[in-house]
Amino acid sequence: MSEENVKATDDAEQFDIVTCYQKFLKDDPDLSMPIAAIESLVELIKHSKATTLTEFMESLKDASQKLKSSVKNSISLSAGADLFLRFVTRTSHDVTNFEACREHLINSGKVLVEKAAAVREKIGDLGVQFIKDDATILIHSYSRVVMLLLQRAAACKKRFKVYVTESRPLQLGIGAAKVLCKSGIPATVIYDTAVGYIIDKVDAVFVGAEGVVENGGLINAIGTYQLAVVAKAANKPFYAVIESYKFVRLFPLNQYDLPTHTPDLLTFPDLEQHNTDSSEDEVIGNYEAINPTVDYTPPDYITLLCTDLGVLTPSGSASK
Amino acid sequence: MDPASKHGRTSNSSSSANQTTNNTSNAPVKKSAKELKAERRALQERQRAEKAARAAGNAAVPSKKPPSGSATSTTVGSTSSTSATATVVPSETAGSAKTIDSKQKSSHTKEINNKQVDMFSHLEISKGTNTSLAPKEIHPAILMLGLQFSEFKICGANARCIAALTAFKKVIQDYKTPEGTTLSRHLPTHLSPQITYLVNARPMSVGMGNAIRHLKWEISTIDIEMSDDEAKQLLCEKIDNFIRDSITVADRVIVEYGLQKIQDGDVILTYARSSVVQALLLEAHEKGIKFKVIIIDSRPRLEGKKLLNCLVDAGINCTYAFLHAVGFAMKDVSKVFLGAHAFMSNGALYSRVGTAMVAMMANEKNIPVIICCETYKFTDKVQLDSFVMNEQGNPNDVVNISTTLTPKPGLLSEWLNKPDLKLLNLLYDLTPSKYITTVITEVGMIPCTSVPVILREY
Repeated sequence: MSEENVKATDDAEQFDIVTCYQKFLKDDPDLSMPIAAIESLVELIKHSKATTLTEFMESLKDASQKLKSSVKNSISLSAGADLFLRFVTRTSHDVTNFEACREHLINSGKVLVEKAAAVREKIGDLGVQFIKDDATILIHSYSRVVMLLLQRAAACKKRFKVYVTESRPLQLGIGAAKVLCKSGIPATVIYDTAVGYIIDKVDAVFVGAEGVVENGGLINAIGTYQLAVVAKAANKPFYAVIESYKFVRLFPLNQYDLPTHTPDLLTFPDLEQHNTDSSEDEVIGNYEAINPTVDYTPPDYITLLCTDLGVLTPSGSASK
Repeated sequence: MDPASKHGRTSNSSSSANQTTNNTSNAPVKKSAKELKAERRALQERQRAEKAARAAGNAAVPSKKPPSGSATSTTVGSTSSTSATATVVPSETAGSAKTIDSKQKSSHTKEINNKQVDMFSHLEISKGTNTSLAPKEIHPAILMLGLQFSEFKICGANARCIAALTAFKKVIQDYKTPEGTTLSRHLPTHLSPQITYLVNARPMSVGMGNAIRHLKWEISTIDIEMSDDEAKQLLCEKIDNFIRDSITVADRVIVEYGLQKIQDGDVILTYARSSVVQALLLEAHEKGIKFKVIIIDSRPRLEGKKLLNCLVDAGINCTYAFLHAVGFAMKDVSKVFLGAHAFMSNGALYSRVGTAMVAMMANEKNIPVIICCETYKFTDKVQLDSFVMNEQGNPNDVVNISTTLTPKPGLLSEWLNKPDLKLLNLLYDLTPSKYITTVITEVGMIPCTSVPVILREY
């Protein structure tokens, strides 16, 4: 019995979940992180030689942990992985036969992945109503859902213009603007720091998200919170567009309560340690490493959430 | 019927005099101390005998007797009505001093009533309990409990609920179903006067209300075929389960969730004394987390002192300040943990007076405010301000400015003589939902707007 167990875990280990996950992401650039995570977990089920349910659950949990720790910003990934694990737990309670359970899970995983592609379309259809003719939209960084939504709106013959924030450090906004221009939507790149300058010319703000937390707040690329505060001060609606499988079981109290929090940011260089010979560059060090990549936007700043479950208020999403 | 049940808003002026004239008229008549003493003694004898026949209106009177009767009540406490008559004798021997004292006190309460603040006149001030004048059918455990409640010896929503349920267990155990009726039909009617007596001692807390409603529902589902003993055993078990599930274990789960939110280096601020927050801080300290605590307290109850003693004994680094210093104390605070008396459906928190101020101050400085509350305290009521539902304490508590056990009256000691001066002693206040970051319940951490969802689902 123990020999079999050892063999089973060996087999599972030979199948490396992290490489599988990264392969999925590379193959399909349109695939989002949580769906790739679910797909790689389904692959694990296929390759798993576990014979008992407990062993099976254990191996799934271990793999999910490994995935989460392998990626630096794992919030949306953990949303997808946790969702799938919850689904597995529920199915394992309903279906008693282990083999049947496995088959069912593999099939359901496939269905989930297929549905995921359709999810973005659904959101696009729902969100189009918020873009009025002759509107000026402001978006932040590059989000596939928001891109789809804007392209859907253009296809509906709505005329609108888009401002895109540059979004340092990755400067994804520039790529977003290029995509939009190719789709026939006039887009201009603005500095992240010019958001306050441009906000009065804007009619609505659209952002995607890495995850939605339990109180209806958002976790998204750094700069989203600033954008939300400026939008609220200027009385502009702030819409978040997000797939339902990105709902995370987290409840951050403030910015520093996130798992992605970089505590080094809160410490200052010890000037006495560096003698006067060292250059200023050494003292400041590598600031790009200690700066955060995502931030948390509290639900008060969000007007509405466009999800495939419908258009929700932040407190309404908390109930979901 | 319970004499205390209908005292409502009837004026207190008829208190002492009315007793002597209860069989004739209700008109207030002033008499001398001696006459009053003799008549009162006779009346007490008569009251015992005529309890059941007395009409509700006259019955309003005895409940206004001041707590000076509490000395006699300790002898009444654990026995039946026969000993109650025996205590009339000690009260005779106790002498005129007591009756004069009670006359003073009764006119005292009359004056207090006339000095009620108009805006809060819909909230009655509890007149205190006199157990020697309680109706016969009140169980001694309930008598004791009523006294403890009205004297604030048992304070705090959880403690009161557990004490009340334990007392009801005793009542159920001593109960015998009368001939011609079943336990599931008659027991609730047997419990009603006991509950009313407790409510008159001190208004019921929301959690207690939910618990009693649960108990009544359990009684109604008792099988008619079951024998008395079995049914009583089952009910006691159900009560124990309720205490265990909704309070004891719920607190433990809340503490576990709360531990996730306490990190090394935190400075935690808390207000007055919440049993759950106390448990959480002690557990966090035991887990080795290094944090500091600032306890904010307020008069007249000074409940924070007990919390301070408890935490300091455990070795936690504590600071103690009064409510007026909260703005200054809030400077270095990283998190605020508060307890709850009840939670409304619109996400508003109903808790010890002063909580709203602490929450607002924290919100001003963007400090997260975390409430620890069990789900049995959730109610589907909606409350928008602290006026519509509240509890008034004894205004005389405000007069004593001592912070130790020996009372020391301050400038306000002559407030009864000053015609334009009124004292207000409110016990609870309402914190709107926008000042609350999160609520930790035994079902998880929820935003306060999700309270009706919990009520619906659980």
